[in-house]
Amino acid sequence: MRARPTIEATGVSKTFWIPHEQRARLKEYFAHPLKRTAYEQNDALRDVTFTVAEGEFFGIIGPNGSGKSTLLKVLAGIYRADAGTVRIAGRLSPFIELGVGFNPEFSARTNIEISGILMGLTRRQVAERFDAILEFAGLERFVDQQLKNYSTGMLLRLAYSIAIQVPFDILLLDEALAVGDAEFQQKCFDTFDEMRSDGKTVVFVSHDLGIVSARCDRALLLNAGAVAASGEPGEVIRAYQQAPRSDDVVAV
Amino acid sequence: MRISYFAPRPPFRARLAYDARILQVLSRSEFKLKYAGSVLGYLWSLAKPLMYFTVLWVVFGSLFEPGIHHFGLYLLIGIVLYTFLADAVTAALPSIVSAGPTLRRISFPPLVIPVATSLAVAMTFLANSVAIAAFLAFSRIRPQADWLLIVPLVLELYALVLGLALVASALFVRFRDVGQIWDVASSLLFFASPIMYPIAILPDWAQRLVELNPFVQVMQDVRSVLLGTNAATAGVIPRVDSRLYPIAIAVVVLAVGLWIHRRESPRFAERA
Repeated sequence: MRARPTIEATGVSKTFWIPHEQRARLKEYFAHPLKRTAYEQNDALRDVTFTVAEGEFFGIIGPNGSGKSTLLKVLAGIYRADAGTVRIAGRLSPFIELGVGFNPEFSARTNIEISGILMGLTRRQVAERFDAILEFAGLERFVDQQLKNYSTGMLLRLAYSIAIQVPFDILLLDEALAVGDAEFQQKCFDTFDEMRSDGKTVVFVSHDLGIVSARCDRALLLNAGAVAASGEPGEVIRAYQQAPRSDDVVAV
Repeated sequence: MRISYFAPRPPFRARLAYDARILQVLSRSEFKLKYAGSVLGYLWSLAKPLMYFTVLWVVFGSLFEPGIHHFGLYLLIGIVLYTFLADAVTAALPSIVSAGPTLRRISFPPLVIPVATSLAVAMTFLANSVAIAAFLAFSRIRPQADWLLIVPLVLELYALVLGLALVASALFVRFRDVGQIWDVASSLLFFASPIMYPIAILPDWAQRLVELNPFVQVMQDVRSVLLGTNAATAGVIPRVDSRLYPIAIAVVVLAVGLWIHRRESPRFAERA
């Protein structure tokens, strides 16, 4: 029924080694050559396997520190997995933490250009989409203001507007709607409808279980870095609500 | 290197075009950021080597002027070349750490970060070269065909600068000491190079050692091209190997830089 998988993750594991005290000085290596630094081993992802089909809206849920953002970053090619394989078939547009390459010292105008080019647009394509980006964000009035004067909500609007203007097959959304107002949320939902009819694939990390159950075709529950449940969103959400919460919450 | 991430890669030319675009946009914003909020902005970085030059000329002029033909130009060339090397590495050193937020949001070749930073400094270097050209004209020195040798010499210097920038920026992600080390190393380099004094005042063993330094070789060669052999090498015994080794060292520094960058880059996003 479904098209071929557009994202295929097999046995993906990722461990962060976080030094107990930042040992970023050579002196400590020379002063204590035998003493190895005590590292906190944080298994952010453990043997995660799943597929996302083309055109699917795929939700990833789980408590804070369960590995959702790390997983998204591995999918986006930002973090390299320690084990396992990720296969992506299509052009990605990542929306991971607010704004690609945003610089608070620059105006929205400059940031749209920098961000758009980092995300793969040419200068001409940025120029062509410039008005659409501003209009969707509703920030025409603030285009020449420095981003340091923007509120989080305004940054979100700008970042999302850029992310959806880049040609993509797969959109990776991390907590996209958490700080937007109701009006902007509705605008985003409208873009979701469009993406759905265009056959785009959307991977959606969210704490808003209502949106996940309403919008996603399938969902994945992460707990302490491992897949705790996957499949039909309603069931996955139920599993999440019933599961005892893991205590080792580590944010990375 | 184990490959575990498969995504469609655009054709080589498209990737190259993308790299060139981010290189341009990153070096431009680096340049803008550096001078954001300062009134005279860009003029400061032009003024810096000229101010050094003026002070050193006044202080050391009477000492070395008799022995060096065109001592003023000799000094200016040395200072402008040194300022390029020192400022480019100093700017590139924290560049990957500073780019951490961007590296954690999108996947792009991190090599463009130190390259963009060093190229932004190269713009200032080019502007400073105009001061040298003006001084040359003022001294009634006529351009000659062999001045074209300056181009490969500057490229050699850039290879050295980029190599140092790559080593420094990649290691700075893990060891913040690199900042202090470079502080010391760059001032040692200033005094250990014949920037404001003639190389002939060094003892013979020190001359041999100093001449291995690719920076010194480039500087001396630029001086002999522009000012004539006497100015740069007065009192020095010419040696066959005087270019071979330093050029090889510059190439090795660049290769080591690329190798360290490549080895460290998969973890830049999580460590920076």
